[in-house]
Amino acid sequence: MSDLADATRVTETAFRVLVVDDDPDMAAFLARLLSREGMSAETVADADAAFAAVAAAAPDMIVLDVMLPGADGFTVCERLKSDPASAMIPIVLVTALEDQESRVRGIRAGADDFLSKPVRREELIARVKTLRRLHETRRELEARRLSAEIQHKETLRKAFERYVSPRLAQTIIADLAEEGTPFRREAQRVSVVALFADLRGFTRLTEFTRVDEVVGMLNEYFHVITDAAYRHEGTIFSMAGDSLLVGFNVPFAQADAAERACRAAQDMVAGFAPVLATWTARGGAPTGVGIGIASGEAILGNIGSPHYMSHTIIGDAVNTAARLMQMAQPGELLLSRPVYDLVRGMLDGQRVRSKGEVALRGRSGTVEVYSVAL
Amino acid sequence: MNDGACKVTVAKDLEDLIPTFMKNRRKELDNLRIALAARDFEQLRQLGHRMKGVGVSYGFERVSALGKSIEDGARSGDRALLESSIAQYDEYLAKVQVAFE
Repeated sequence: MSDLADATRVTETAFRVLVVDDDPDMAAFLARLLSREGMSAETVADADAAFAAVAAAAPDMIVLDVMLPGADGFTVCERLKSDPASAMIPIVLVTALEDQESRVRGIRAGADDFLSKPVRREELIARVKTLRRLHETRRELEARRLSAEIQHKETLRKAFERYVSPRLAQTIIADLAEEGTPFRREAQRVSVVALFADLRGFTRLTEFTRVDEVVGMLNEYFHVITDAAYRHEGTIFSMAGDSLLVGFNVPFAQADAAERACRAAQDMVAGFAPVLATWTARGGAPTGVGIGIASGEAILGNIGSPHYMSHTIIGDAVNTAARLMQMAQPGELLLSRPVYDLVRGMLDGQRVRSKGEVALRGRSGTVEVYSVAL
Repeated sequence: MNDGACKVTVAKDLEDLIPTFMKNRRKELDNLRIALAARDFEQLRQLGHRMKGVGVSYGFERVSALGKSIEDGARSGDRALLESSIAQYDEYLAKVQVAFE
């Protein structure tokens, strides 16, 4: 059953009253009057039995005699009211009519109302009905609050899922619920497989295309490649212009992160092919997705100012993937050697060639690069 | 005690509870006698207090009234009051007639 259904079900349950009285005649009398009013009444004779009954199935109300063998009614009331699990259960304390001292002690113990012995039928019913109404109103309000909270969470989740992976969205919502702030953890060093995808030649294409068309085309493109990223549980860290940064093995460990990144790249290119065909048919300039994937250590954390913050990854693996993407031709995937070593088994039958040691802009030393035609 | 004082009208929906109620009152009378013989005033007070609460609840005003006398007698250690109240209780239980409506 859904959380929402659970929340509304609360109001449909029967009204249950626990009568705590060691006098069997009194207990039977109270139970009979309550039953006559359509309530379900259970009777117990002492404090321990009362605690056990409440723990087994919390009643909607307790009618509690003050004079009990062992722990008295005040002690029972105090204990139940100090326990968050039973604090909301209304308690009617049954005292002697003239016993004002007991009433004061009862108020201190947290009793919600009092009933005098001898018990008058009309008084019992009136008090119980009033408390029942209050209790049911409180329950209804609680169910509504719960339902609104669930809907709010659902709205938040849907909103977040437009920007981050569904799994990350769940984590953010859980962080919000528990700590009030998502991504509270300190920046951390992580092992990452970074994928950069870019629409090659798109900048040129935009020079000849109307602005509103450009937005529509970008949305078509991002729809395909973000779907592919999420399908393989990648986390999208940034979207700028027509390029996309996707991290694997972060923030959740993925033993097969390199394979996931490669499959996401294959799906991005394959998924984009029909979109590209329609663009070409409309006479657009030649374009296609170019992708770079590199692995290594990176830093995961909140980067920015308190006013604008980005939860992202930075480091050599990310820079290398970006440079590889810039080198990639439309429909080409460039892999750094460590990534290639991890995925070579799944590339059988595909056109793979070594590009040898390549010097990447802004990076000392060279990187051994492999090209996969997708 | 006149016979009128021994007639009690009880709500119809409590009818099936009355046989047990009366049985418990007779047991209560035995316990009062035992407590009186043992001069156990605390026990007498508790028994009187219980009679006071349960009597009128069921419609037996006399049980509550006698309960109050017994509770008072136990509190003040008034043995004569206790003996008299318990004797009246015995007589009442022997004569009481219950009608339901």
